[in-house]
Amino acid sequence: MANATLQCTTFFGKLIENEYVHFNKLSALVIDDISAMRHAVRSQLQSLGMNKVSVASNAKDALELIKSTAFDVIMCDYNLNSTSSGQHFLEYLRNENILNATSVFVMLTAEAEYSFVANAVEYIPDDYLLKPCSESKLRSRLERLIDRRAFLMPVLKALDARHYDVAVAECNKLLDIAPDDRRRMDVLRRKSDAQLALGDHSSVLETYAHAATVRGDVPWVMMGLARTHYALGEFTQAAEMANELVGKNKSYVAAYELLARIRLEANDDEGAFELLNRSSVILPSAKRFRSVAQAAFLLGKLEEAKSNTEAAIQLSNGSMVEKPDDYLSLAQTQVDMGDHMTAIETLEKSARKHGDVGLFGVAKGAILAQAYFDSGDHGKARKLMERSVSLLANRTDSVAMTALGKAALKTGDVVLGMKLLTQAVQTSGQDERIIARHVKKSMIDTGHADKVEDVIDGGRKRILQLVDDATKLMRTAHFTEANQKVNEALGIHEENLEVLMTAAQLHLLWLKHEGMEARVVQRAKTYLSTLDKLVPNNQKVMNFYRFFNDIVSS
Amino acid sequence: MQKILSALVIHDIKNALALLEIDLEQLNHHKDVPPEGRRAYRRCIELKNRLISFLTLYKYDQSGLQPLVVEVELAEFVEDLVRNSQSAMMAESHHGHQIVVHADNERMKPDSAAGGFGMFDENLVELALESALNNAVRYAHCRVDVWFEQEADEVVFRVLDDGAGVGVVDELMQRKIAEKSSSTGLGLALCKAVSEAHGCGTVQLESVTGGTLFTMRLRSVA
Repeated sequence: MANATLQCTTFFGKLIENEYVHFNKLSALVIDDISAMRHAVRSQLQSLGMNKVSVASNAKDALELIKSTAFDVIMCDYNLNSTSSGQHFLEYLRNENILNATSVFVMLTAEAEYSFVANAVEYIPDDYLLKPCSESKLRSRLERLIDRRAFLMPVLKALDARHYDVAVAECNKLLDIAPDDRRRMDVLRRKSDAQLALGDHSSVLETYAHAATVRGDVPWVMMGLARTHYALGEFTQAAEMANELVGKNKSYVAAYELLARIRLEANDDEGAFELLNRSSVILPSAKRFRSVAQAAFLLGKLEEAKSNTEAAIQLSNGSMVEKPDDYLSLAQTQVDMGDHMTAIETLEKSARKHGDVGLFGVAKGAILAQAYFDSGDHGKARKLMERSVSLLANRTDSVAMTALGKAALKTGDVVLGMKLLTQAVQTSGQDERIIARHVKKSMIDTGHADKVEDVIDGGRKRILQLVDDATKLMRTAHFTEANQKVNEALGIHEENLEVLMTAAQLHLLWLKHEGMEARVVQRAKTYLSTLDKLVPNNQKVMNFYRFFNDIVSS
Repeated sequence: MQKILSALVIHDIKNALALLEIDLEQLNHHKDVPPEGRRAYRRCIELKNRLISFLTLYKYDQSGLQPLVVEVELAEFVEDLVRNSQSAMMAESHHGHQIVVHADNERMKPDSAAGGFGMFDENLVELALESALNNAVRYAHCRVDVWFEQEADEVVFRVLDDGAGVGVVDELMQRKIAEKSSSTGLGLALCKAVSEAHGCGTVQLESVTGGTLFTMRLRSVA
């Protein structure tokens, strides 16, 4: 009898639950390269009651639509065309932060593609559906997904508005009313995302600990913990967790990538290269091939650098992840291999469609100059250098300056080379580490190993060390100590963006954790207004402002 | 070359079949669809199921199946499976009379520690259970019951039909399991492949009082 009642409740519960899903109010986008399939899926959705169903035949068109419309449901075919898959598209959307949290992303796959799908642990869609899918099954799955979305809606909306502090508060409300552990885990995952976006590492650790008490051993919790340990500079613990994940799932690409970063911190370039290479084999993408190529290039493994750059070009050609810079990397590798004729062909023929103006033109001219110099045509090399220098004008782009600096050293203009490379390092901002490594390699390759320290340092190294120290201190809530480091760094360069950002973040966390002390409030305001002047409308600064206002009003 | 060609042809046929199925599905929404329309839909579904079972098994033989393990609420999963089962939907017109496929909530036994959730690949398991259901409705007299039992790290799915019982068909069944060519054998081989892909699962078909019981065990991959 008790069972019978239970059954009724479940059945009734289902009925009530389904009433929340008004398909006629939902919009959808169907992405499939086969026209008949696209329209068949659209008919199914329309038959469910959806009357706003758009279609796209390729990722480029889909991207335009997704940027202009916030779809409730996106149904994407895994096999978009020969070069780009739905998986690449999803990775791109997530990496570029284009996909709304409120959009439900469903991947349609065939059974043959299924094993690839299982490797995509990090970039999973909201659901996978096996093709072909009947209308009633489609209905069940969508109802379930829309139900989950309805529960999480206040959080998802805050995430889409980039109001991460609001998202955390909404998560806390939902945790109190979550009907079961699965919903609770859904909420905790979003909460950790929001806290990570706020850079609030001490709180995110608590969220992961909470999640681990609900469900032990869940991959995203372990990965999150590993990443947080890494961010806190606790590399041994980070590596332990990442290795545990890899032990459980040999295809866990994100864990390999974190391990590679840990190897780099330990200056084990060879180990990092091996790990990056492994992840690109498990889940190939243009981005992964590029990372492998760069690691190989810096290690002097030119054959590997070449083949991986070629793979990146092949995979991204004609797609939205196409990057003209791939041709620059390829040509530079070819020059370094002594194959200047092929390098000239790469830049003058293969990369023709990308033109030769702007910063791309600067770097292209610089690499061509090296190639012509090697071929013995010094006159042409000099002309190309002059053109690139005037094209660069007074812009400060660290990638273009690195290429041009190397070319200057190679073609014999040591003064110009040193000047450009020094500037490249000083203006490299967040890319400091990688630019410095390229600069160092260029100098060693051109016989200037003795001046590496002068070029790379220039006060910059000290600033970075201080920012690094301050960040670690603030993440462990040592605010006064962190502030001393920030002040010292500002003493070296008072308008350094990275230092100012760190200063602002530090003061906001300080206020949040220790309460409203007048002096701290005043300093926070000053940093925020300085930043606003230096980089108007910067998303990160806007977030700081919001965060600040919320702390003040509460 | 031959391999590439056959892969292309199969891919093509499968897509065409999928489109045909969706067309027939939409056609069958109409109230006045003639019996031929319904029959064509049923045949199309059967053909597609066979092709997909075959392709999945082929994949299993070639490189193994890699399950995408997620947390699944078991009762909801079984209810959805029954509600959306094409075999169940088509069961009535197979025989002269109605066959009821029933998600048996009274027999469902969730493990209290796991809170009624299991860890497995719902797409693969659904594919397997759909073919088990397809077999069951073909041998059933008028009723098929579906439920799950869960203990510790094991999830067990059961499909019980009230057909003549394996006692009569036993030998035939065993032979069919051995040869994948028949549709019963193909379905059982698929179930076996899916359960094995999840670790150390098993599949069993046995005669019980009043019918035939199909059992698929999955060892949860934690």
